[in-house]
Amino acid sequence: MAIRHLLSLARRSHKPSSSFTLVRSSSSRSNAEEFIKPPPPTATIYDRIAHSLKSKLQKLENPDIRFLKYGSPHPTQTPHTHILSRPETKITTLPNGLRVATESASNSRTATVGVWMDAGSRFESDETNGTAHFLERMIFKGTEKRRAKGPEEEIENMGGHLNAYTWREETAYYAKVMGKDVLKAVDILADVLQNSKFEERCISRERGVILRELQAGGHTEEDVFDHLHSTAFQYSPLGRNIHGTCDNIKTISNEHLHHYIQTHYTTPRMVLAASGAVKHEEIVEQAKKLFTKLSSDSTTATQLVAKEPASFTGSEVRIINDYVPLAKFAVAFEATSSTDPDSIALMVMREMLGSWNKNTGGGKHMGSKLVQRVSINGIAESMKAFSTNYKDTGLFGVYAVAKPDCLGDLSFAIMSEMTKLAYRVSEDDVIRARNQLKSSLMLHTDGTTPIAEDIGHQLLTYGRRIPFAELFTRIDAVDASTIKRVANRFLYDRDLAISAIGPIQDLPDYNWFRRRTYWNRY
Amino acid sequence: MSSFLQSFLDPKKSWLAAMHMKTLTKRLRKYGLRYDDLYDPYYDLDIKEALNRLPREIVDARNQRLKRAIDLSMKHEYLPENLQQMQTPFRSYLQDMLALVKKENAEREALGALPLYQRTIP
Repeated sequence: MAIRHLLSLARRSHKPSSSFTLVRSSSSRSNAEEFIKPPPPTATIYDRIAHSLKSKLQKLENPDIRFLKYGSPHPTQTPHTHILSRPETKITTLPNGLRVATESASNSRTATVGVWMDAGSRFESDETNGTAHFLERMIFKGTEKRRAKGPEEEIENMGGHLNAYTWREETAYYAKVMGKDVLKAVDILADVLQNSKFEERCISRERGVILRELQAGGHTEEDVFDHLHSTAFQYSPLGRNIHGTCDNIKTISNEHLHHYIQTHYTTPRMVLAASGAVKHEEIVEQAKKLFTKLSSDSTTATQLVAKEPASFTGSEVRIINDYVPLAKFAVAFEATSSTDPDSIALMVMREMLGSWNKNTGGGKHMGSKLVQRVSINGIAESMKAFSTNYKDTGLFGVYAVAKPDCLGDLSFAIMSEMTKLAYRVSEDDVIRARNQLKSSLMLHTDGTTPIAEDIGHQLLTYGRRIPFAELFTRIDAVDASTIKRVANRFLYDRDLAISAIGPIQDLPDYNWFRRRTYWNRY
Repeated sequence: MSSFLQSFLDPKKSWLAAMHMKTLTKRLRKYGLRYDDLYDPYYDLDIKEALNRLPREIVDARNQRLKRAIDLSMKHEYLPENLQQMQTPFRSYLQDMLALVKKENAEREALGALPLYQRTIP
């Protein structure tokens, strides 16, 4: 019986395989009943869908070559010389020291014109801290020729925008107007800077506004960075808050503001930058006529900086507040000044660490390992690496916003990736970061205002406008060994500054962070 | 080497493999399951990802088959004979998608990126 069974089995396996069709579907039919057969693959809906899915997946095996032409997961070095022919920036220095720089774009009908100067909260003193910001608020509130709200109204009538910002080492006033109104805008700017009247009632009104703003804030990204600067550069001018302290704001007066203008709004420290539909000669003529009343005291900002240099102190400031949902913290090392050649390498390192938030298009597939760790494990709401440069120092680090329960994992990821830059750097990562940096620099200067801001900032920090070709060459000179050397200079076993606000009970302590600035392995 | 293994494991070429396939068919038919239903998403996270990518109808059918088999096993019964004749245990719906998922993960690891998911044993 069993032998007959075995023999029939052997005979059946040698028969031509008619039972195995393309689909491999039919099970071995039972000998007895031939009437009930298994249904074909088109009978049920799930089988039909599975069959069509199978054919679609088959198509994936042979992708269309057209779609593979530009997409490759390996970053390559490509030459960019064909897009680097930008219109050049024309710079003229007037006899009183004022620099006028323009970059005209022939296809543009609007223009941005503004004054960028080397003045900011850094150059105040402890008693006058807050003057720069107060002045920026007060300066549009009326001049001798134009009553209160005059300057703003005039620009708005032309259809333009007036804007200003005060930073630690830089202040800017700029206006975006139509091309035909550029000279009028220059007139308004010159008037506002030289002939401003600071009336008492305007001052007291503005004082109230600023005090209310100071009391309202406390938990934004800007506050984290303010705290970071105040702890990293404690006892030094860069650590002062831009807005000033409440006591100072209550005592700032007309004389303070005028004194500040006299000392710091001097022509050698100013750049009149314009971009868009502007003609260089016209702007120079207008500037010669109008910017006459500013003092041309030739103390440069660098000399002021040398008198009071900034000093970095490894420290931390933590403000625990369990009533807000998210914890925000920033970890920073001391970096270098903007004129140091290593600042370009720091910019590449910033791109290597990357930035991410829940809306980023790349998601879990971005190149930076830190971003991969953060996004795959979901340990932060957003993170970004930053590198800022001042005249004699700078900051390089990572800022992150996270829920309170994943702070330990997040700190581990951040510190291990930052320290890894001193040990293991792959050439692929560096090329990818370089390409990202180049494209972000070019994409950023995509309008008249960013270009004017770029001109002003570069003339103040470097003394000249760096052409994109040179900038790209400097970026391309950064390779894996440069990154390791620069990371060893700034990150390896160095003190860091931490500032954190929110529900930060589980954020590791300073010694934990400081230990993880080096590894005991090679 | 691999082709020797393939010929060893191919039911068309080797009677051992054919016998194994016949036994499996008999057992799967008794409970009304397909071979791909036995892949466990808790065992391998790739299977979980492949099931996530499959269309809803296929996954629903798989779950219904599993529920039917669990019910039969609980009652110590087998599927009725007429239904058993209609079973197709080796009609596959998962293998292609699973191969694609594994290929993608292998490519990601080859490029040096972190894996998208890792199994943690609690």
